[in-house]
Amino acid sequence: MKKVLVFLSMLLVVVSMAAKVELVVWTHEDPNRTPLEEGYIKEFEKMYPNVEIKRVTYPSDKIKEVLLTAFAARKGPDIFNIEIQDEYPYIVNGRVAPVDLSVLGLKNYNDLKNLYLEGSLDAVTYEGKIYGLPLELTNWCIFINKKYFREVGLDPEKDYPKTWEDMVRVSEKLVIRDGQIIKRRGFDFRYPYYLTFFVPMVEQLGGALFSADGKTAIINDNAWLKVLDFMKQWGPNGKNLGSPTYTAARKEFNKDNNTVAMCLSGLYQIDRIKAENPAFYNSKEWMVVPFPVFQNAVKDVRCNFYGHYYMVNAESSKEKQEWAWRFINFMLSHPQEYLTKVGLIQPRKDLIESDVFKNYPYANVFLEDMKKAHIVPLHPQGPQIEQLIREAVESVMLTKTTSQDALKTLKKKANDLLKEEQ
Amino acid sequence: MEKKKAIWGFIFTIPAIVFFMIFDFYPVINAFWMSFFKKDLLSLKPPKFIGFKNYTYLFTSEAFWNSVKATAIFTLGTFIPMVLVSLVLAALIMTRKRFQKFLQMAYYSPAVLSSVVAAMIWLLMFDPRGLANQFLNFLFSTQGIDYHWLSNENMLRLATIIVYFWKYVGYFTVIFVSGMASIPRSIHEAAIVDGASGWQDFLHITLPLLKPTTLLVSVMSMIQCLKTFSTQYLFVQGGAPRGPIDVITLNIYNTAIRDHQIGRASAMSVILFFVIMFFTYLQFKVSRSEEVTY
Repeated sequence: MKKVLVFLSMLLVVVSMAAKVELVVWTHEDPNRTPLEEGYIKEFEKMYPNVEIKRVTYPSDKIKEVLLTAFAARKGPDIFNIEIQDEYPYIVNGRVAPVDLSVLGLKNYNDLKNLYLEGSLDAVTYEGKIYGLPLELTNWCIFINKKYFREVGLDPEKDYPKTWEDMVRVSEKLVIRDGQIIKRRGFDFRYPYYLTFFVPMVEQLGGALFSADGKTAIINDNAWLKVLDFMKQWGPNGKNLGSPTYTAARKEFNKDNNTVAMCLSGLYQIDRIKAENPAFYNSKEWMVVPFPVFQNAVKDVRCNFYGHYYMVNAESSKEKQEWAWRFINFMLSHPQEYLTKVGLIQPRKDLIESDVFKNYPYANVFLEDMKKAHIVPLHPQGPQIEQLIREAVESVMLTKTTSQDALKTLKKKANDLLKEEQ
Repeated sequence: MEKKKAIWGFIFTIPAIVFFMIFDFYPVINAFWMSFFKKDLLSLKPPKFIGFKNYTYLFTSEAFWNSVKATAIFTLGTFIPMVLVSLVLAALIMTRKRFQKFLQMAYYSPAVLSSVVAAMIWLLMFDPRGLANQFLNFLFSTQGIDYHWLSNENMLRLATIIVYFWKYVGYFTVIFVSGMASIPRSIHEAAIVDGASGWQDFLHITLPLLKPTTLLVSVMSMIQCLKTFSTQYLFVQGGAPRGPIDVITLNIYNTAIRDHQIGRASAMSVILFFVIMFFTYLQFKVSRSEEVTY
């Protein structure tokens, strides 16, 4: 009898273990987000003891390739997020599953769209279906260290750069050099994210990355040339105000160590300053201002925003897909905590209309800029085109290549790439 | 009896052969096969057979020839000085009566570091505010000159060569030291008795008898240089322009991982494979006539 009982109890354990659903989540490293999401996992597992969630993090520059190789080998995780421009090929190639509306308790996609700010699900809408839910929508504004402004006789509240021409003028005042070597940069760009910050600069002057039908790349040579000239002037062969070969400005900014006075970053930077340098955070010697526009801009467009959308592997079992959407929905139902603890903006109407959002430092600056911005260009060849823009910009900044030559090469290569795809 | 031994010998090698077949031979064959197809890494569609189109595309591609040029410059700029300097260093170590082991360890130590860590350390040094500029400014008694280590085409190439040279010169020095130590002492003694100077002994005894080691070192270092990746990859990640250091392996990586074109990337690796095979064969062919016997 005893033996039978032992056997039965073992069988029960085995059966219950076998019934457990294991979900694997791959996401990028974010020290502020990890404890928050680990907490949600514990809560979710408590609510649904048959589900076990394994959250794995990778550095943000590594996750793209790890994920790609995993999907190529058909061993991708059940849930993942990367930047939308890199997620887009996963949607186009049918590697991710559409949002399971029944799990979310919704009747149709319009009900889902109504929960979010207008257009914020467009990036993940493909052939009438929605393939992801936004973890964050991020745009970049200018972070300013007020102390260094005052040091050179500028009033940060009044003299902050409103135009790119102002940016050059202010940076020339702020820069400290030892011969040709820059000891303190006034401002520097966020290399190599050219689709995010560089393309809107071109658009301000009337240019575009793609034609309306998407068949031609690099529209309006004049606009591109002007921005390439601007970057040439910015670089070591021009006014020597910054360069991609220096440490990223946003990393230096938090240190408040007299190496950079302004940088380009998202709302999340505030929480990073708080975590990395509480003294600087508490000093209130920093502020955020909008993304500048050119003096003679023909279009008031601000820094492109990009998104991280949680997606579900289309090759996971139906059961896993259902649980995956249930878990994603559970995590994302805490938008205020994501804002206050991590500095991430989830474009949900209930968040944007809440007092928490309205009272969050500089959230309004980011929101106002976002209203004048659009999402980074999404195209299956997007990453290659960004690399081509990088080559063009860096060749004019770092070598003796003229803007005309760089543009000619860029135009040819980008259009060849599009033709190859067609 | 001998036959039985041979059978057992073969049986014992089976695990190693199976391991080699799965993890080395299969990927090589698969790369050859894949190079005739058009395949997007993310697509679930079956690969499309396109014959030699990947190869014809590459041979007419500006970017591919730029990679060939970058690889050739890097290989010649690294492998020749590396073989020569490691030979000289080994000879110097052999003449020391004390600290031989210490010197070998000191020269060898960078080889133990991971390539990624080595590249990161050097990236910090090549930062415009880093040690490399400070050193050159001190050396040339200049003030605040930026030598553009990570931006000027030639300086950037030199920078990657320095990193690789620094990392591996000690490794090949140690191989040369063991090659020199294996030359029977009696041969040197006989030369000295016959009135040879130290230089003559090195030139007429050590160098000719070191031929197999020199061949080994030159083949190994050349293959390593042709396969260089992490230094260039990290430098580009660190903000350096890609063009001057876009070696073939980096191009393969970008074609596969960024562009998702696994067929084209495979074709490039097949070409690199044949280039390495050709130069290795050439080196063996050139040195075969002078095999060493004591």
